[in-house]
Amino acid sequence: MTWISKSITTLGGLLLAHACYSAREHSALQSLRAASAASLTSLPSVTTSLPLDIIIETIVATFIILLGLVLGTRPLRPIEWRVWAGKIEREGEEGFIDGAGEVNKDYMGNPFSALESRPNFVDIRKQRREFAEWVKKGG
Amino acid sequence: MAPSLLYPATQLPPASALALSQQAPAVLRSSPATVSSSPLSALFSAPEKPELWIKYENLILSCLRTGDDQAAHQCLERLVARFGNGNERVQALRGLVKEAEAQDDSALEEVLKEYEQILAENDTNIPIAKRRIALLRSMGRVSDAASALVQLLEFSPTDAEAWSELSDIYLSQGLYPQAIYAMEEVLLLAPNAWNIHARLGELQFMAATAPGVAGGSYQKYMAEAIKRFARSVELCDDYLRGYYGLKLVCKTLLSGGSNKTAKQTDDEFAIPDTRNTERLNELATAKLSEIVRHSTARDQGWRGYDEAEIAAARQLLSDDVAASSAIER
Repeated sequence: MTWISKSITTLGGLLLAHACYSAREHSALQSLRAASAASLTSLPSVTTSLPLDIIIETIVATFIILLGLVLGTRPLRPIEWRVWAGKIEREGEEGFIDGAGEVNKDYMGNPFSALESRPNFVDIRKQRREFAEWVKKGG
Repeated sequence: MAPSLLYPATQLPPASALALSQQAPAVLRSSPATVSSSPLSALFSAPEKPELWIKYENLILSCLRTGDDQAAHQCLERLVARFGNGNERVQALRGLVKEAEAQDDSALEEVLKEYEQILAENDTNIPIAKRRIALLRSMGRVSDAASALVQLLEFSPTDAEAWSELSDIYLSQGLYPQAIYAMEEVLLLAPNAWNIHARLGELQFMAATAPGVAGGSYQKYMAEAIKRFARSVELCDDYLRGYYGLKLVCKTLLSGGSNKTAKQTDDEFAIPDTRNTERLNELATAKLSEIVRHSTARDQGWRGYDEAEIAAARQLLSDDVAASSAIER
């Protein structure tokens, strides 16, 4: 998915650069012609606008870049609480993996699970005993 | 795959705790031994990340659990080097290490005395106060722990974790109404916590099915339990625990509830009528079997559930099938 969005953005960028270059060339040519015409006939120079194809190219290039950028965004988070919570419960870490294959940094599972595990009240001696028993049983 | 070190590791199964504590040497090696806190040196070195300190904290917990005291001490030393001895969280962690290494009751008494000394100097030291309560409970002095916890809650009534611990202490003593009250306080502080809603439903169900419950309060507890479980699945799509509880409560109501039916006096706590209960039961059954089916097939996007929970749900469903086929015969 990322390479599609990147290539579309690059294409749009090339088109936009081309449009800019054409516009610059066009205006340089126009001013040269106006200067030569003025020296010949001393008439007031006519202001000319850009040709239609350059304008269209610019607009199309902008939209292509926009399309590429939009395609490249990360999937949006669910807005509704129950959908988001359900995603956490159903998919676990897998649902929050970004393009690089890593779990999102701000993913923390159920944010309220600490209210049940209560890390500040942990009974470390009991946990040690249970772990030792688990090892004895052959883990 | 070992779970990430960034979440508190108190309720993980032993195998994951072992995997976490085995990461300790790698983490200790890959991060600098001391990080200076002066702003001048921060300009020239790589910025320190808060994640590192969370990692150390969680490493201490898992290392103490697996008996790797040496690594725990190293992590603690680094935390002390960064935050100093006076930091409240560091003090609590130091106490935790001492508790874990205490060989007998007299050593534990020593630790307890130390906590009380710290609290005498500064009685707003909440991490130490919590450790003291946990130690009292661990030593079997549950009533002392409960009264200390009530004192702490009078002093800081918005501490949801402490309310939750209080509920657990009351539950361990069989005091269901008090446990439910404390859990409701947690819900006041975290009204969107779907697991707390489910937990409260479980408490209500336990209170309803406890021996020696009068008919009226049985009805009240069951109605409340349905409400809580329904709220938990409303807050969280496909919540296995919520649907499990919902199904359990509805099943109990449908099978044996009729002989305990008392006259409904209070409209607020009315149990839904039999038809609605049946429909709730059907809904929960359908959802549970969907979850179990997908999870057993390891379908994409359904792998977050706990194995043991899925097994329990499967058991509940097969019990149901067995019961209904027995009735048909």
